[in-house]
Amino acid sequence: MSVLTMTNGAAVLGGRRIWGEATFAIEPGTITAVLGPNGAGKSTLLNIILGLVPLAEGTMHVLGEVPHRGNLHVGYMAQTRQADAVSTMTGRDFVGLGFDGPRFGWGHDRTKKEVVRQALALTGTTSFADQPLHSLSGGQRQRIALAHSTVFSPELLLLDEPLAALDLAAQVEIVDLIRSLRDSTGAAVVVVAHDLNPLSGIVDQVLWIARQHVRCGSVDEVVNEKVLSELYGQPIEIIVTPRGRRVIVGLEEELAHPHPHGHDHSHDGQHAHDSEVTHDHEHDHTHHVTTNEEHS
Amino acid sequence: MSVHTLLATPFVQHAFYAVTAVALAAGVVGYFVVLRRQAFAAHAIGHVGFAGAAGAVLLGASPIYGLLVFCLGAGLLIGLGGATLDDRDAVVGVTLTAALGLGVLFISLYSGYANATYSILFGQILGVTWGAVGLVAALSLGVLLVVSLTYRPLLFISVDERSAASRGLSPRGLSLLFMALLAITTVVAIQIVGVLLVFSLLVAPAAAAEVMTSRPLGAMFLAMFIALMSAWFGLFFGVWIGGPVSFWITALASLSYLLARVAAAVQSRRSMRVVA
Repeated sequence: MSVLTMTNGAAVLGGRRIWGEATFAIEPGTITAVLGPNGAGKSTLLNIILGLVPLAEGTMHVLGEVPHRGNLHVGYMAQTRQADAVSTMTGRDFVGLGFDGPRFGWGHDRTKKEVVRQALALTGTTSFADQPLHSLSGGQRQRIALAHSTVFSPELLLLDEPLAALDLAAQVEIVDLIRSLRDSTGAAVVVVAHDLNPLSGIVDQVLWIARQHVRCGSVDEVVNEKVLSELYGQPIEIIVTPRGRRVIVGLEEELAHPHPHGHDHSHDGQHAHDSEVTHDHEHDHTHHVTTNEEHS
Repeated sequence: MSVHTLLATPFVQHAFYAVTAVALAAGVVGYFVVLRRQAFAAHAIGHVGFAGAAGAVLLGASPIYGLLVFCLGAGLLIGLGGATLDDRDAVVGVTLTAALGLGVLFISLYSGYANATYSILFGQILGVTWGAVGLVAALSLGVLLVVSLTYRPLLFISVDERSAASRGLSPRGLSLLFMALLAITTVVAIQIVGVLLVFSLLVAPAAAAEVMTSRPLGAMFLAMFIALMSAWFGLFFGVWIGGPVSFWITALASLSYLLARVAAAVQSRRSMRVVA
């Protein structure tokens, strides 16, 4: 049975249609990359899966149920957390909040210690789990955040830009960890990203969201000149390097950096507007999706 | 009179119960103020309270009711309007300024006893009645009870709002709850140290605790302990040596923060030497 199915889904925020006619399925143990320009509705998709935003049209099932908040079978890692920069809280305590953070009242669950210990071991974070979050490197924090989101061994793990703001070495480290978490738990993983290349070794399917459309398929099925040109309504060229990296030409204006701040609905709506504007106009920042230089 | 007789007098006893309850509430709420980086909001609520207290005095009521109404109002306004970090400072700043202006107006309209203004600004815990002690203690214990029931969600929402929301918590609801707790704590702390020195109980002990430990529960209890010691010894020195109790509490709480920072600096230098 699929972990997630969407049939003719559409997202609407504040009266604005973000995307529609989305039909896809996510199978257990697979890794899905969600790509597309800023504001295309990638985070909105995660919010819909989490039950934070209702699906405007169509039907969707997450683990056989209508999406709802607080589903312990769905793990979620936000792109930014308030704690990272300033908190003196330790990684272990932060992972512990993944276990009993939502609980009101007195009392203490005796299994917490062991569950947290296992989550730390599984993510290779035990050695620095007792240091304050603000003293850790970006990669270490992401590992702790992954431990936080996988404390209940979710069947569906949603990661919002887990590679953003990491250097290349840390990106490789996190990609390896995502793969090993998938292998050890059998969870389906959905990774929102702005660059396919760091993930290309582990990705089973791609969801590309652009111009209100959602395309789903294997990397070769979606990330090719025909589909992307159709999706963007403009000629797109793809150069594949000898090492298998894809350089996408023609989208320099569309594919921008990840959001520097946490994105919520209003931001998403705003950016959706922005990207429509920039589509027809010259824009001063030009980025490659795929070149390595932007990460160094 | 000897210190013993002074400490046994009813007005010191009243003050003792009041500072004990208030210090515990302020210590633990202060931990969240520091964690959430909302010191400016705490500051603003206190100043808004000044307008409320001045208004109540003008109407011939007890200042604490004016404080409660204005502080809760300001807390809810900040909680509602400043849900996102981006616009929080602006909302807080405008609320603060508007209320202070109102306070100035009330004071100018009130031609009576200036001491009322003085005790709102700088605190006046000696001389409070049993009735006032009862109200302050009840409010403080209420805050402690609510925090003990909600500290995990409050922590969660303070360090990772989006993840907390995905787990079914309401960031807005919890933010409002926290601002209400902060408002009530500010009101009771003002009874002891006044509007201008409210940070001494609300921020200094928690900031010292956060320097000393990175475990949230440990920091909460440590903040309560430091606030309690500052309050008890502040009261004792005020009675024994003289001078305003609020001065002593502020001095001791600030000193504990300073000592915590110095100790942390010494410790980190020592551990660097070990590594080298």
